[in-house]
Amino acid sequence: MLALLKRDLYLALYSSSSFFYTSSFFVLVLIILPFLFGTNNVQLQVLFKGIIWIGLSLSILLTMERIFNADYEDGNLDIIIQRYPSLETIIISKYITHWLVYCLPLFIILPILSFLFYVSLDNFFLIFLNLFFGSLGMVFIVTFVSALTLGAKRTIFLKAIIVIPLFVPFLIFGTNLESWPILLALSMMSFVLSIYVSAYGLRLYVE
Amino acid sequence: MNELKIEDLTCYRGENLVLKDLNTKLKSGETLVIRGSNGSGKTTLLRALSNFIKSYNGTIFFNDKNVLEDTNYRLSFNFVGQKNSLKDNLSVKNNLKLWEIIYQKNISYSKILEDFNMSHLVERDVGSLSDGQKKCISLLRLNFTESKIWYLDEPFVFLDEENSQILIQKIKNFNTNNGIVIITSNINLQNTFTNEIKI
Repeated sequence: MLALLKRDLYLALYSSSSFFYTSSFFVLVLIILPFLFGTNNVQLQVLFKGIIWIGLSLSILLTMERIFNADYEDGNLDIIIQRYPSLETIIISKYITHWLVYCLPLFIILPILSFLFYVSLDNFFLIFLNLFFGSLGMVFIVTFVSALTLGAKRTIFLKAIIVIPLFVPFLIFGTNLESWPILLALSMMSFVLSIYVSAYGLRLYVE
Repeated sequence: MNELKIEDLTCYRGENLVLKDLNTKLKSGETLVIRGSNGSGKTTLLRALSNFIKSYNGTIFFNDKNVLEDTNYRLSFNFVGQKNSLKDNLSVKNNLKLWEIIYQKNISYSKILEDFNMSHLVERDVGSLSDGQKKCISLLRLNFTESKIWYLDEPFVFLDEENSQILIQKIKNFNTNNGIVIITSNINLQNTFTNEIKI
């Protein structure tokens, strides 16, 4: 598993733009807000709690092609599956690297964004917890959808149609600052579902 | 002495029968060329032999062990498919580095590239290489493991005369070191490798 993690992190490092894709997209979505709704402090704080979830959802959705599809299309998935026969190990390493490469940068810039949107320190920690658990669950969801639709080309709209309804519970509870335990539970359920369905998807591909 | 034995192999892709009752046996130092038209099941056969496809009728034995039950079998072979397993946006060196991590083997990039006289390409982006150059680099994966069998799916596609001869020599050297090779090909290789079956 460590070799797989190292390989995926090197891959992200070599294509260094990967680290900036989601965070720059996330920032751009948030920057649009004051232009649309003005710079009233209270209004911005309320909007911030909701719009970060839209930013996070879109960021994760737009990068889901990179979980398995890139390796599938160039043939690297064959090598990985041959060398590491445990599909579950491959899937877990994908969860970790996808979160580290595409979600961690969001958490690094989150304090600055919170400051710009006048979010209090107490609220910031709750937003952080919500986003942390929510982002894990969302990564589990896009991973299994990515595995199930492996080999289907130009289907980003189809994938979005499958994924967005599954994101809805995270969005509903995510905007409530006290509901991080529910998000944690949702993420745990997503993990259990995801590990089985992703392995099934990869098995279908291999066959 | 290693032995690969295929007994009554029948394989379906979806509902289509692509291989029927295939029987053959290969020993150390032998190369088998599988010829057939497009869609005849050559790649399917290689993927079954490589344990990617597991739902087939018949049995594949390696050293008298059923490959479906032998957990060490996956380390016995090297499969080079039609896809190059290269990232177009990375340099040749970085692609080799990624393979190095997967195969957990340290190699000298310049030395390995000398096989196909490509040392000068080490810093080039793969996306800027020709299909033939990409194919040569993808075949370098054969150097990353100490395998006993090579499964090569259409390895001569895109290769020029010079690189085809280099590959033939590599295969013959591998045979000399007791390696077994199975090649699928559309082109006639009977002058080079006499052991051939048509499917």
